[in-house]
Amino acid sequence: MTHVIPASVPQPSFAEAIKGRYFSTRRDTIVSLVFAAIAIWLGWSLVNWALVNATFGAGQGDVCRENMHGGACWSVVSARWRIVLFGLYPFEEQWRSGLACAIMVIVAILSCVPWFWSPRRLPVLWVAGFAAFYILMRGGLFGLPEVTEQNWGGLALTVFIFAAVVLLGMPLAIVFALLRRSELPWIANTMALVIDTIRSLPLLSIMFTFAIVLPFVLPGWAIGDKLYRVIAGYALFFACYQAEIIRGGMQALPNGQEEAAKALGMTYWQRIGYIILPQAFRNALPPTINQIVITFKETSLVTIIGFFDVMASGRAASGTAEWNFATIEMYVFVGLIFFVFVFSLSRYGAYLERRLRVGTR
Amino acid sequence: MSEPAIRISAMNKFYGTFHALHDVDLEIARGEKVVICGPSGSGKSTLIRCINRLEEHQAGEIEVNGTPLDDNLDHIDEIRRDAGMVFQNFNLFPHMTVLENCTLAPVLSGRLNRAEAEKTAMRLLERVKIPEQAHKYPGELSGGQQQRVAIARALCMSPQIMLFDEPTSALDPEMISEVLDVMVGLAEEGMTMVCVTHEMGFARRVADRVIFMAEGRIIEQGPPDQFFDNPQNDRTKAFLSQIVGH
Ligand SMILES: Nc1ncnc2c1ncn2[C@@H]1O[C@H](COP(=O)(O)OP(=O)(O)O)[C@@H](O)[C@H]1O
Ligand SMILES: [Mg+2]
Repeated sequence: MTHVIPASVPQPSFAEAIKGRYFSTRRDTIVSLVFAAIAIWLGWSLVNWALVNATFGAGQGDVCRENMHGGACWSVVSARWRIVLFGLYPFEEQWRSGLACAIMVIVAILSCVPWFWSPRRLPVLWVAGFAAFYILMRGGLFGLPEVTEQNWGGLALTVFIFAAVVLLGMPLAIVFALLRRSELPWIANTMALVIDTIRSLPLLSIMFTFAIVLPFVLPGWAIGDKLYRVIAGYALFFACYQAEIIRGGMQALPNGQEEAAKALGMTYWQRIGYIILPQAFRNALPPTINQIVITFKETSLVTIIGFFDVMASGRAASGTAEWNFATIEMYVFVGLIFFVFVFSLSRYGAYLERRLRVGTR
Repeated sequence: MSEPAIRISAMNKFYGTFHALHDVDLEIARGEKVVICGPSGSGKSTLIRCINRLEEHQAGEIEVNGTPLDDNLDHIDEIRRDAGMVFQNFNLFPHMTVLENCTLAPVLSGRLNRAEAEKTAMRLLERVKIPEQAHKYPGELSGGQQQRVAIARALCMSPQIMLFDEPTSALDPEMISEVLDVMVGLAEEGMTMVCVTHEMGFARRVADRVIFMAEGRIIEQGPPDQFFDNPQNDRTKAFLSQIVGH
């Protein structure tokens, strides 16, 4: 069984590669053909439903209702998209809500620009973007009529909750992670207990506790709006998970890094800010992105406590007698919105990972 | 000028219950070059890491440039600024370029502004003969180059004392001399140096004094000629014959 390896292996052509991979034996061929048929049939049905037999146009609700040979009724989206995006936000002010969301998206895109990647610029960018978002949404300043949080809804509310949770939760997570590795055992142990306790509770129960139970416990001045209590609870939950992720990133660092920084006379906070955290975040980037994606998706849990986030708005948009047959189309639309956000987040994560690898070879 | 650069008296160090250093007394004059050698685990690293408080000693006294090393954070900061350190594993910051590695501490400490720090860093990188690598990341350099950057980085804080902990032990043989050359240059300029190393050629060439440690104690010390050619203690003899033998 001697085998002579040719000096240069010829690259198989595309057709050869396909043949080798899917049709090399009789059984492979049968399995491939069956699955190809199923895939084509599924694809064809989907195209038929979503495009060929579908109804578009906002005024076409009646057409949809009568002419139901299986096609999708995108009219519900054309007619009711404002509710999904803006919830109960007053109609004439909805541009503010849209602009606010656009600002957050721009902030997210700007944070891809390496110029912003410093311990000072990135937080400044996010805090400024978030402040602009809040002022636009809430109004009461610069001649903008006030719109209270009760009237926020739809995608704008989802984005608000998400951004607020990450913005509050991230610094909290850093503090938790640092306390967790404190040299004083009682601090480290207490922090470990708090983190493990909160991580072992379901997010929903934490939200309920903060939204509904907390007002009975807190003094009146500390209660605040239900929305902010829920955000606080969610941020705490996020921080506990993220703290463990950051701690993992710190543990992967060799001791020598901190020692070298000490030997150069850097203070504790300088070591944390310039040596430990930047490297810990690099190490922990994949799980961090993962955590952020999960956080975005799970904002839809706030529906259950009576908030009108993008999920709830979607349900409401197709919940009227006029549109109640078009629930699936509405969910597809909401699903698409989630997909766009989550997919871009994970692509951004992959880009960051590739980009950061340069410095850490 | 009579005050020593480093004064250690009756210093004891424990790791938990393990007694790592026993009653160490050591005075190092300004401008003096001291080489410390001894078998692995004898406490050489522990000794020089106690000098800048990377490890805390439990008994005895340490003074650096007249500043007592105690729990006063200002004293610790001052000592760390006076004493630069070079590690066996370089410990460059991998997420920063060579230049950023060198300028970070001087800028953060407020000692120099960014422009001055960069100028100083470039001058020192030239001195360790790698100015052309200033904008690369440490991971793109060879071990010898990284160690030279580490030396330049420590020098950027204008220390009066340099502590070296086996600076060439992690290097491939062909890179050892490029690092030793830099260290010889430093010695010739009159830097106070405490250097843990087994490079006996280097010790003979630059050391004013060679110290032999074993089991957490200073066993023998003397000028290199006497130390190498006429060691007194049996352990020293055994150690030296091992080193020469290999
Ligand atoms: N962080 C530590 N914790 C416990 N024991 C240690 C620690 N560092 C060093 N030691 C012990 O102290 C002794 C001296 O170590 P070290 O100073 O590193 O020796 P050397 O540098 O001479 O090889 C060794 O026995 C070592 O196992
Ligand atoms: Mg050692």
